[in-house]
Amino acid sequence: MEQLLDLAFFSSAIRVLTPILLAALGGALCARVGLFNVGLEGMMLVGAFGAVVGNHFFANLTLAILFAIVCVTLFSLIFGYLSIHLQANVIVVGIALNFLALGLTTFFLRTIFDVKGAYYDSTMVGLPKWDIPFIRDIPILGDIVSGHSPLVYLAFLLAGCIWYYFYRTISGFRFLSAGENPLAASSLGIRVRRYQYGAVLACGVLCALAGAQLSLGQVTMFTEGMTAGRGFIALVATMLGQSGPLGVTAASLLFGLMDALSIRLQGLALPTHFTDMVPYVVTILAMFFFKNKGFQQDAQKQSSSSR
Amino acid sequence: MLLEMEKITKQYGDLTANRSIDFNLRAGEVHAIVGENGAGKTTLMRILYGMEQPTSGTIRVKGQDAAFTSPADAIRCGIGMVHQHFMLFPSFTAAENIVAGREPGSLMRFDRKKAAAEVEELCHKYGMKIDPWAIVGGSPLGVQQRVEILKVLHQGAEIIILDEPTGVLTPLEVKELLEAVKSLAKQGKSFILISHKLNEVMDTADRITVLRDGVVTGTVNSGETDVEQLSRLMVGRELIQIERKPSMPGVEVLEVEGLTIRGHKGKPLLDQVSLNVRAGEIVGIAGISGNGQSELLQAISGLIKQDAGRIALVGAEVSAESARGIREKGLAHIPEDRYVWGADKSATVQETGLMGHHRRLQRFGFIRQKAASSLVADFVRKFSIKTGTLETRTQYLSGGNLQKLIVARELAQGTPFLIAAEPTRGVDVGAMETIHSELLAKRDAGAGILLVSSELTEILKLSDRILVMFEGRIVGEMAAEEATEEKLSLLMAGGKQQ
Amino acid sequence: MSNRWSKYVLPLLQPFAAVLIGLIAGSIAIWIAGGSIPETYSEMWKGAFGSFYFFTNTLARATPIILIGLGAAFAFRAGFFNLGAEGQMIFGALTAALVGLYMPGPGWLVCVAALLAGITAGGLWSALAGWFDARFGVNLLITTLLMNYTAALFAGYIVAYPLKDRTGSAALAQSQMLDNSVWLSKLFKGMPVHTGFILAVIAAIVIYIFFKRTVAGYEMRMLGGNPLFAVYGGVRRGAMMLSAMFVSGGLAGLAGAAEVLGTQYRYIDGALSTANYAWTGIMAALLAGAHPVGTAVAAIFLAALQTGGMGVERNTEVPLEIGSVIQAVLILFISAKFTYTYLKRRKEKNADGTAA
Repeated sequence: MEQLLDLAFFSSAIRVLTPILLAALGGALCARVGLFNVGLEGMMLVGAFGAVVGNHFFANLTLAILFAIVCVTLFSLIFGYLSIHLQANVIVVGIALNFLALGLTTFFLRTIFDVKGAYYDSTMVGLPKWDIPFIRDIPILGDIVSGHSPLVYLAFLLAGCIWYYFYRTISGFRFLSAGENPLAASSLGIRVRRYQYGAVLACGVLCALAGAQLSLGQVTMFTEGMTAGRGFIALVATMLGQSGPLGVTAASLLFGLMDALSIRLQGLALPTHFTDMVPYVVTILAMFFFKNKGFQQDAQKQSSSSR
Repeated sequence: MLLEMEKITKQYGDLTANRSIDFNLRAGEVHAIVGENGAGKTTLMRILYGMEQPTSGTIRVKGQDAAFTSPADAIRCGIGMVHQHFMLFPSFTAAENIVAGREPGSLMRFDRKKAAAEVEELCHKYGMKIDPWAIVGGSPLGVQQRVEILKVLHQGAEIIILDEPTGVLTPLEVKELLEAVKSLAKQGKSFILISHKLNEVMDTADRITVLRDGVVTGTVNSGETDVEQLSRLMVGRELIQIERKPSMPGVEVLEVEGLTIRGHKGKPLLDQVSLNVRAGEIVGIAGISGNGQSELLQAISGLIKQDAGRIALVGAEVSAESARGIREKGLAHIPEDRYVWGADKSATVQETGLMGHHRRLQRFGFIRQKAASSLVADFVRKFSIKTGTLETRTQYLSGGNLQKLIVARELAQGTPFLIAAEPTRGVDVGAMETIHSELLAKRDAGAGILLVSSELTEILKLSDRILVMFEGRIVGEMAAEEATEEKLSLLMAGGKQQ
Repeated sequence: MSNRWSKYVLPLLQPFAAVLIGLIAGSIAIWIAGGSIPETYSEMWKGAFGSFYFFTNTLARATPIILIGLGAAFAFRAGFFNLGAEGQMIFGALTAALVGLYMPGPGWLVCVAALLAGITAGGLWSALAGWFDARFGVNLLITTLLMNYTAALFAGYIVAYPLKDRTGSAALAQSQMLDNSVWLSKLFKGMPVHTGFILAVIAAIVIYIFFKRTVAGYEMRMLGGNPLFAVYGGVRRGAMMLSAMFVSGGLAGLAGAAEVLGTQYRYIDGALSTANYAWTGIMAALLAGAHPVGTAVAAIFLAALQTGGMGVERNTEVPLEIGSVIQAVLILFISAKFTYTYLKRRKEKNADGTAA
């Protein structure tokens, strides 16, 4: 047991949950304005690729991340325009964008870097590890909290910022109202569409950061399809967390722990499939209890299967 | 004079919803607008609130000409509207709902404490009581309505439009609301009260304007009139010639006893409704729509479940039966909303016309195509339904033609009992005559028909017996010979049977 | 006159425009990759249909896509958003492999039993989600999505541990190979397409007839078109939903079973997912507006994009993903409802001036 749950375990859990948390926050923003974003997976993938490409061409981490943000934002604008202006089915657009992301990133991987499968550049600098002065000396907590990439800290900070935005600012209040009752909100002069586009763009930024953490966080490389379903796990975290920043953080923490646990178990030659299943099963069970909330109503608006 | 609306006319294509309407409002006055469904009340208010533009006519607020292109314009002129269906955010608190759009605070911070203080100040000033921190979604409907009213007061409204405000309230909540309106009026606020409930209007309003078929039939002071005069102004038409054969009622085909459906928060949708229909007779239910008729019909046809009471169809208990089972026991149904219940817009005319017959016209699970198409072709011929071919999509049929199709379809089911809900709504005169004579023919052939209509002329023309529904209850019953438009409209508006 | 225009020409206009835009997008991508546009597209055509081998290869690839597409189309027609084809296919494949390996009896019997078992497994997994929705009100779209991963992980476990193929040096998580008496036979000697394709075609025809001519098909279509109208007319929604979900999942299960019995001859963890059959099948159904025959055609078209892409990869500098780029752009434009009716509505709204 001690071997299983040592400090490195918790530290890796935090590292692993970061992309999920970031994307899930993006998903929560979209969900709150009535757009159920199935395309988180594709957005994260574009972000991961954009970060590597940016790093390659600019040899500068900040510019690389900015480049990733630009790429994903353009990508998310497609989602926004199709879903908001043209009123296409949000699910279909999300699925199509996932396909497009996979195709485009693999396509450009071949054309830009002339490699198959993965691009790995040993000379490329990845995200630094920040050793925070006082905290790293605290026993136990220090080893867990200190030494992560800046995006990890940014993720938690952003979760807090979104919480503050939703529940303390006027703009955030109007944002929530636009999603809760768009008709009433627009009758009060609240520009619902503006908030929707804002949510989609913010989601793009968050997914770009998530992708950057993936491709530049531990090792600096891009693999075809490297998001490997994390975008969907993020969506699950959004649902489980009821599209609220705190809930989403808690859910992401749970999934991060499960993910880290399954990596550990692999090391011990034990089946990981059941720990991997936990996020999905837990969410299905949660849906039995949280019936008429948030995402279900959004999904209901998109499809007509549940009444 | 605070508000003047002069010669307001609104036309939608061929339909004239408002014709040269004059309406004015003084400061501190409660001025009610009454009329039947479709009289034009809602259209007039939508124009005032900036949701529609008048085809012609002028509006003046405090002597200044005003043109509203959106609700925001109207709000800026001090006009507030409390809609029939509340525009609230259920998960937010009362204070948040009230200040939404004009929240106190700075760029970084929504000052909720100040919002609650502002709300409490309003409550104190206007004598209304609510808890600013209560979550609106879980509050009773009377409280929700008070939140809506405080919202318009917070917006600085001097003129407040109340659109059918008491529909969902319990009697106690109604009393509180009307008291609040009178008290606010004393403090200088002006109200436009839209209602069909004449007793409430008589009690609360200073002046009453009656609309009928898009025109004003009279504006009276409440002290100088009574409910009978009002209902005559609402309805007064030429008496129609009734040419119906006397009915020969036979066995009971429908028996409803003590049917009750609990509504939300105290107000029942159906309250101990009992009635019966016999073979060979048409029982008409008169009433303004929204008084429980829809729920009654849906319960009888098995589309919703009642909370108490029993239903028997041709002698068989169907209280807990499914919609399919009830149809098989002998029910056909012309639904009140042809697009919601009666058809599938994306299906072909053939397919819409087949519903209910499809199980009968089959062989080994396959639909007998020839029989099916000749069935629907028959409908088209018999009722002169204008359609391209049977393969045309239902959405391309005009409303009237679709109604004819549905009537034809349901009459052809050959059942001992038929529900006909608003059977000639939106239908031209010629089609109306056809449908009416077909219904009478069905009744002469021995079927029992339950007719629900908000058109009094239709009720009087077709029914052998007439019931009146108001607020989920049967409030009156009379034989056709005794019925007059005045008696019926009085009961429909909540008056007492003489 | 305008009725005929809107009936025959317009429905084709949208997919046609989408395909055109997809090809244009593909051209841009090819140009970026430094390839020659005519050469690439000709290699794509050759890769998909150039020789008899390639042609049958496309058909073989299309087989599971057609079946899944039909399953998705079936559910969509009845008004239910079943996105669980991946999981249903996996369970179908796994069950078919297990029956094929461990059931005794003559080869052809085992094969048939394996197919039926695959259909049942996929159908039950799908109906389970349907039951959750009907009985507990848990949203179908989300449960089917989540159950995909559960199924994939469960199947992965089965072939990684208890039933892993430990013969040979393969480090892959997979079941043992099926005895060749159980295999679905190839239609042409040496060519990849197998009996599964015939099953897919038959399924498309059967489903087409079902929806067009049977009582149950009529009721399901009405349920999908206006559920209130259907219930009003006596259609039993709960039973219909479960049946529709079962058939939908069963077809996906059949897709998986046919792949196992006809192409791979064993269950390989992840093989069916990497090939992206499930999502391609769903796309085919969406492209064809859930029309059974249209779905089959769309499925073959999408399969051709994929095999064509492989041909492009083999013979040019352009990567095979060109196929998925075109595919995705296509579906984006289909989903964009960029149709005559939309633009018409927009014009009406502006002319009216009302805030309706």
